[in-house]
Parts: sequence; C-alpha cells; structure tokens
Amino acid sequence: MFGRRERAAPDTFGDEVLGYLEPLYATAMRLTRNRADAEDLVQDTVVRALRFRNRFEPGTNLRAWLYTILHNTWRNRVRDTAREATDVDSDRIEELAATADGPAEVETPERMLLRSTMDADLKDALDELPEAFRQAVWLRDVEEFSYTEIARMLDVPIGTVMSRISRGRRQLFEKLSQAKNDAKVSVPR
Amino acid sequence: MSECRLVISQLTLYVDEQLEPDRRIDVDRHLERCVSCRGMLARERGGQIVLRRSAPQLREEPLPPGLRSRCESLVREQTRAASLPGWRRTLVPTVLSVILLVFTASAIFSLATRQSDALLAAQLTADHSKCFKLFVSGNPPVMDAHEVEEMLAREYGWKIHVPPSVDGLQLIGARRCLYADGLVPHVMYRANGQDVSLFVLNGVTRKPSDLVTFGHRSQIWTKNNTTFVLVSPPDENGRLADATRYMMKEADR
Repeated sequence: MFGRRERAAPDTFGDEVLGYLEPLYATAMRLTRNRADAEDLVQDTVVRALRFRNRFEPGTNLRAWLYTILHNTWRNRVRDTAREATDVDSDRIEELAATADGPAEVETPERMLLRSTMDADLKDALDELPEAFRQAVWLRDVEEFSYTEIARMLDVPIGTVMSRISRGRRQLFEKLSQAKNDAKVSVPR
Repeated sequence: MSECRLVISQLTLYVDEQLEPDRRIDVDRHLERCVSCRGMLARERGGQIVLRRSAPQLREEPLPPGLRSRCESLVREQTRAASLPGWRRTLVPTVLSVILLVFTASAIFSLATRQSDALLAAQLTADHSKCFKLFVSGNPPVMDAHEVEEMLAREYGWKIHVPPSVDGLQLIGARRCLYADGLVPHVMYRANGQDVSLFVLNGVTRKPSDLVTFGHRSQIWTKNNTTFVLVSPPDENGRLADATRYMMKEADR
C-alpha cells in the first residue's frame, strides 16, 4: 500500500550548462570582439537557457542548443541596437567577398603551415573577417558543428552556411598570407 | 552553371571530405586541369587547416573574474526555485477532504509566485552586479535625469520617469538589460557609496515583494501596469533607508 517513493533524479541541467561557460565565452569573444559585450552575452545566454530549459529536449545536444541561444541573443541585440555594419544576411558581403577571390598566386597550405602562425595573429585575422564569415568558420572549424547545426544557429539555409565557410576560410588564409608577407618585407634582417 | 562554379560550390564538402565518392572523382578531374579552382582549393584548405590546428588554443579564452560565480549563483537560484513545485509530488493524493485540496491549491499558487519573484530578483540582481562591474569604475560623473530620460527614449523608445539625484543619492548611468523575452531599462545610482539599481518592467504586474537574493535586497512593486524592481546591497546600518524610500516614492510617479 505504501510503496517506496521514487526519488527524483538529481537536477544536473544547471551544472551541465556551467560546463560550457568557457567555450561559450570564447565564441562570444570572437562574435563581439569585446570583453564586456562577450561577458554580457554569456550571462544572458545562461539566463535564457535556465528560463527556457523546458524547451530543451533531454538527450539532444545541449551544447548546440546553448550555441543557438547565444547566436539568437546576439542577433537580436545587433538588430535592436543597429550597431556596426554586421548585416549577416546581406548578399552584398557575399558579392564583395567573391570579387576578392582572384586567381592570385598563392602558396600551398603545406608551405603556409611550415611557417609559424601565432595564435594572436590568427585571432586578429579572424576578427577582421566579416561577421557572417567569422561565425561560420568558427562554428565549423573550431567548434566542429555540422552544417545543419550551424544553419539552425545562424538561421540561414545550409547552402549559405557552406558558402560562408568557404569564403571565410579563403579570406582568412589570404589575410594570414598577406600578414606574413608584410612582416617579411618590413622586418630588416 | 559552369563547371568551375559547380566545383566551387562543392569545395567545402570536398575539403571536409563529405562529398560523395562519384562527385569527388568528377571534382578531382576538374581540378587536374583548372589552375584557378586549384588556387581556390588551396586557399580554402589552407584556412581550414590553420583553424583546425589552432582550435584548442583558440578555444582557450580565460573567463573574466566574476562571470562563473554569477552564473553559478543563477543556477543555484534556479535549481532551488525549481525544486519547490516538486513538493507537490510528495503530497499523497487522498480522499480526505475538499479542504485539503483547496489548501494544497493555495499553497502551490503561493509557491509559484514566490518562485517567480525569486527568479526575477535573481536575474536582475545578477544584471545589477554585472553592469556595475563592467560599466562603472571609480567615481563616475553624476548625470542629469532629464538627459537620461531623453537618451532612453531616443535610443530605445522607452518613456520612463527617471528619479533625479538628491542628497545622498547620485544618478550615474542607464543602460538596457536583458530580462526574459525582452529588454528592460536599468537605471544605476550610487547611494552613500553603495550601488543601487532601478529596473522598470513595462506591461508586467506583480504583487509587492521584498526578498533577498545573492546577498542583495530586491524590492518589487507595481503601479499602472508597470513593475519596478529596486536592487540594493545589504543595509545593516540603515544608510540606504532614505535613498530607497525616496526611490520607491519617486520611481512610479
């Protein structure tokens, strides 16, 4: 009659969210390029995750869900404040980038890798990319999300995601190559 | 679509080794005879390799001091609040009486309200701490209330009354903070050296409440379909009493 009461499973959702603070902050830093805004964005992401936790389906990818919240929050903020010309959905960015893709003579990736690229240089080069490309290459190559997950996070079609990844990688490579060449010219031996 | 354009549109899949084998053979054949596409491939692959090689270092971004503890506090508060309705499950359903059901229903309503207030207070207290830490340093200049009102109207379309500075209370800033689905005005003051925040939630009604979250006091009240939340540090010596009284009288004017 008096069966043993089932004990509720311990609530680990919050702890799991906290486990992603560092990668979320690193992503927020590349997104905002500003420590204060990045800190603000991460805290708001946590607040929203806790508030809307009932929308998260247990067993699905919590990390991808948190990144989606982070990007939605950022997108809303940028849209609301109309800050800087980030215009993530603009075809113009794609057009401008297309014109930058000339058949220029380039060094091979292997030669490129033989040179040491400092992480600071890489971060600078990443930060110089248009936001749409920066988000795409970061999510794909640094965070290793699938095209589908990225499309959901950025709220764009998969084809657009692949196009942005492609252009982002090429522009990044060109910027790093250019920076290396400039350094070689400017530093006297 | 020209062959080059078709190949370029598939370069990402090619570089990521996710292109179907048949298609990959076609792309390989094209690359063998097209210098331009080979250049594109080299650049894309170069960017991908550099990024993936450096990914562990890129992901290392030290958290700013205070961010983790604030987020941990939010989680603790949420977990504590979420555990309250669980008590319902421990109430064994009985046929004892309607009175018990009525009692239970009122208790649940009361708990839900408390939970909701605690979450509201927790979120806004976290914002209070964050904003003062990030955006206020040293002795900031005192601001004119009318100018702040104009700024909030101009930048965000908010028309709110901002209580002006008085003796012992200085208006030092205002910004926009995120709360739940929306964004709310956050007006910042310094009262006898202490940080005090006023949040204005338009279109929200709450019963008056006075509670302590993260060591801060949150006083919540509503007037004319607008809820005001005053967040202040502990006031053991009563040094903030005049300031908070003034704010509660002035804010909803």
